Amino acid sequence: MVSITLENLTKMYGNTIAVKDVNLQIKDKEFFVFLGPSGCGKTTTLLAIAGLIKADAGEIWIGDELVTSAEKGIHKPPQERGIAMVFQDYAIYPHMTVFDNIAFPLTISKVKKDEIKERVKKTAELLGISQLLNRKPRQLSGGQRQRVALGRAIVRRPKVFLMDEPLANLDAKLRVQTRTELKKLQLELGVTTVYVTHDQVEAMTMADKIMVLRDGLVEQIGTPDDLYNHPSNTFVAGFIGSPEMNFIDCTLVEEREKLCLDAKEFKISLPAETFPKLKSYIGEEVIMGIRPEDIYESKSVKGTTQDNAVKMTLDLIEPVGPFLLLHLRAGRIPFVATVKQTRAKLGQEVVMEMDFDKIHIFDKKTAKAIL
Amino acid sequence: MNLSFGRVFTRETMVNLLFVLPSLVLVGYFVYVLIGWNIVVSVSDWRGLTPSYNIVGFGQYITLFQDPVFLTSLTNNLILILLFVPSSLALGLFLAILLDSKIRGEGVFRNIYLLPFSLAFVITATLWAWMYNPDVGVINTLFQAIGLRFLKSGWITDPNIALACVVLAIVWQFSGYTMLIFSAGIKSIPESQIMAAEVDGAKGFNLYRRVVIPQLKTPALSAFVVLMIFALKVFDFIYVLTGGGPAGYSTYVLPLLMFRETFLSTHFAYGAAIATLLFLLVLVIVVPYLYLSSRREKD
Amino acid sequence: MRIPNPRRIFLYILLIFFAFVFLLPLWTDITTSFKSIHDIIYTIPVEPPLSPTIEPLITAFNIMERPLLNSLTFTAVATLFSCLLGSINGYALTKIRFRGANTMFLLFSIGIFLPYQAVLVPLVLTMSRLGLYNSIGGLILTHTTYGITITTLLFRNFYGLIPDSLIMAAKTDGAGTWTIYRRIILPLSLLPFVVVAVLQFTSIWNDFLFGVTLARGSEAMPASVALANLKGTTEVNWNVQMAGALWYALPVLIIYLVLGKYLIRGYMAGAIKG
Repeated sequence: MVSITLENLTKMYGNTIAVKDVNLQIKDKEFFVFLGPSGCGKTTTLLAIAGLIKADAGEIWIGDELVTSAEKGIHKPPQERGIAMVFQDYAIYPHMTVFDNIAFPLTISKVKKDEIKERVKKTAELLGISQLLNRKPRQLSGGQRQRVALGRAIVRRPKVFLMDEPLANLDAKLRVQTRTELKKLQLELGVTTVYVTHDQVEAMTMADKIMVLRDGLVEQIGTPDDLYNHPSNTFVAGFIGSPEMNFIDCTLVEEREKLCLDAKEFKISLPAETFPKLKSYIGEEVIMGIRPEDIYESKSVKGTTQDNAVKMTLDLIEPVGPFLLLHLRAGRIPFVATVKQTRAKLGQEVVMEMDFDKIHIFDKKTAKAIL
Repeated sequence: MNLSFGRVFTRETMVNLLFVLPSLVLVGYFVYVLIGWNIVVSVSDWRGLTPSYNIVGFGQYITLFQDPVFLTSLTNNLILILLFVPSSLALGLFLAILLDSKIRGEGVFRNIYLLPFSLAFVITATLWAWMYNPDVGVINTLFQAIGLRFLKSGWITDPNIALACVVLAIVWQFSGYTMLIFSAGIKSIPESQIMAAEVDGAKGFNLYRRVVIPQLKTPALSAFVVLMIFALKVFDFIYVLTGGGPAGYSTYVLPLLMFRETFLSTHFAYGAAIATLLFLLVLVIVVPYLYLSSRREKD
Repeated sequence: MRIPNPRRIFLYILLIFFAFVFLLPLWTDITTSFKSIHDIIYTIPVEPPLSPTIEPLITAFNIMERPLLNSLTFTAVATLFSCLLGSINGYALTKIRFRGANTMFLLFSIGIFLPYQAVLVPLVLTMSRLGLYNSIGGLILTHTTYGITITTLLFRNFYGLIPDSLIMAAKTDGAGTWTIYRRIILPLSLLPFVVVAVLQFTSIWNDFLFGVTLARGSEAMPASVALANLKGTTEVNWNVQMAGALWYALPVLIIYLVLGKYLIRGYMAGAIKG
């Protein structure tokens, strides 16, 4: 049972915060993703778990073992943590053959030669690189090198896999392919995995749970579903999902016993269930968020009198494979909507409806109110 | 470039060639013409102060191999290669590894180790003459003062160990250079490889042996060539430190022999033959190296 | 390399030991240069002087004044010329496409490794025929020419890093070969010039072979030859000898302290000494 626990983990570089107060629990066999833009601290956290950097505050447990404690002065070296790591540039040794590269951790632990041979062969088979065992890294393609790096990590049967953007250097097509393979592999091997990426698509498709970081601070931890449907702030809401969520500044007003979002160019009335949560915000400025996929052409006859309908002008249609991106405008407020098809023409006025269930409202100072 | 297909010497080409013409002329003459001229002298019968160009064949070369001083010189050069080159490389590597350990004042130490290399051989030879002087020199008086009298020696006045003393001094001078080359090599290894090796269990000595050192082949080779060629060309240092002695010829090397034969004994043809031989020895090392490195550039 | 703590002390001990070894000869050079004859008899070399004096330095300077001046002159001029020509050659080899560029480069490269003994005799003859034997001019010519081989290599490597697109843009703007050199390459060459100049200066200043072969006469004798003569005299006044060595080493020491990092870059760019 290999879980990972981080408690109040903090790392500083001089006066700059790399990560601060990270608290999380990773379950056994979980595929856990650290997600965020460059410089958010996700790699720092990963390196701290690996023991390659020391923590300034906080504690880390791997399994039942306390491997890092800044307060108690405990720091177990990386070699003894039972972890295996895959780096963004693969870090395979150019002067060794593929076989020797994969065998490296075993040779260091002085495993018997026969056993090494067997394990390396098995690992190579698993990854489909058996025929490359005698080659040198410079003779391999990027995808092949990545597998060698994986092989080196797997062959040790570690307690934990740590991966730092392993797909970043692959071309787009290979990336999608490898993504699936990696996930399948992880399920098969059943090893607790921590995976770092800045690509939210990767995170959403692969993760059991995601932690979103920004500037060293944790923004939200949850399943992909949680993050998508219940983002806790505008950053997470905007980071997850492509194309990005539409954000509109509004004021929450009360009109004829209904709560409305007033964006000056248009108004939307909200259903009664939302009342209790929003009561305290009446008269306040808020941010409304709605994803492009949750805006659709109105089929109802009520037109703009409907509570959730807004009249918009169609500026641009972008075909994106299976659907269309509509760039619209309500007055001067831009909207992006994803639809399967439309008969509207450019410059035409269209009535769009927003899905009530999917409207997000955020406090202007980054908190969030309701779904 | 298809435009000038039929006209090899377009006006543009001529103007361009003008740029390199002076250099071509200078280098062409002072290197290649003079080498050829030297070879001609080596097969002539020129002895004494008046030049004479009667070609008499390779007699001088045959004399060379029967001359005990020549053979001593050649042997000494080979001993230098065998002792000096590996020692400098080893010490340089050792220092480079020491400095790779996140030392405070890394730059200061590096500058100290590199300082001797920047000094002229005439200077360092003068300094080491002072070091090695058996009566009042630095080393012997130091041993005396700290109670290690039994370590005192004749150093460069002792024909048996004089050459070893020379080797020690030039290792001292060159180790900073080999250290520099190896340091650059070590720094060029991506940090992620070191991290990967650490995660996989390699520490300290093991890490260096398996991951770092095997990747230092290229810098090692270029340092190797430089050192080898120096071991053949060394002149200033020995001229000033020992003058070729003691006991006559114990520290003689080919360049010194050539110099003495040519300019002191006026055996010009003989000296030219030694010089040509020296040149060939250097070519044997340089040509394969240039070939290898130009091939690597194409990779 | 992460070495556990107790071993770090040993590491520093090693480093300091080697620092001592590398500096010892220089230290005794300095101490001895300031010692009177009395001090030389009554102290051992590693000890500092009992009553420091600049006598030896003055004596040495009187002997070496003219040679030092000679060295300064021909070294500076030869450095300038060999750098200029090297720069032009480097430019030609990388930015002007001409046939035989690679051959030219190869031929020059062999010149870098040339053991000068192989050209010494004809060189002397040439110089004497040109009337440049025993003259500063002769030394300038010699050092410039042999310097071109290495300066060309270094500049070629530097200029290879300048993107061709820059040159192509200039050409479409109507610039000719010389203009491109003057207005684009040269302004970008400040760093390479410093590196190559520092390297050349040190290497020419330190030369002995050409000095002792071509300029033994007092009119043009370089400082290196003067120092060797000083050593060769039978009355071994060590303090004067050490002082002489100090004078001769001075310019290089200054360069090393002030421009050291450029010198180091030069070494790494494939410099060959000797």
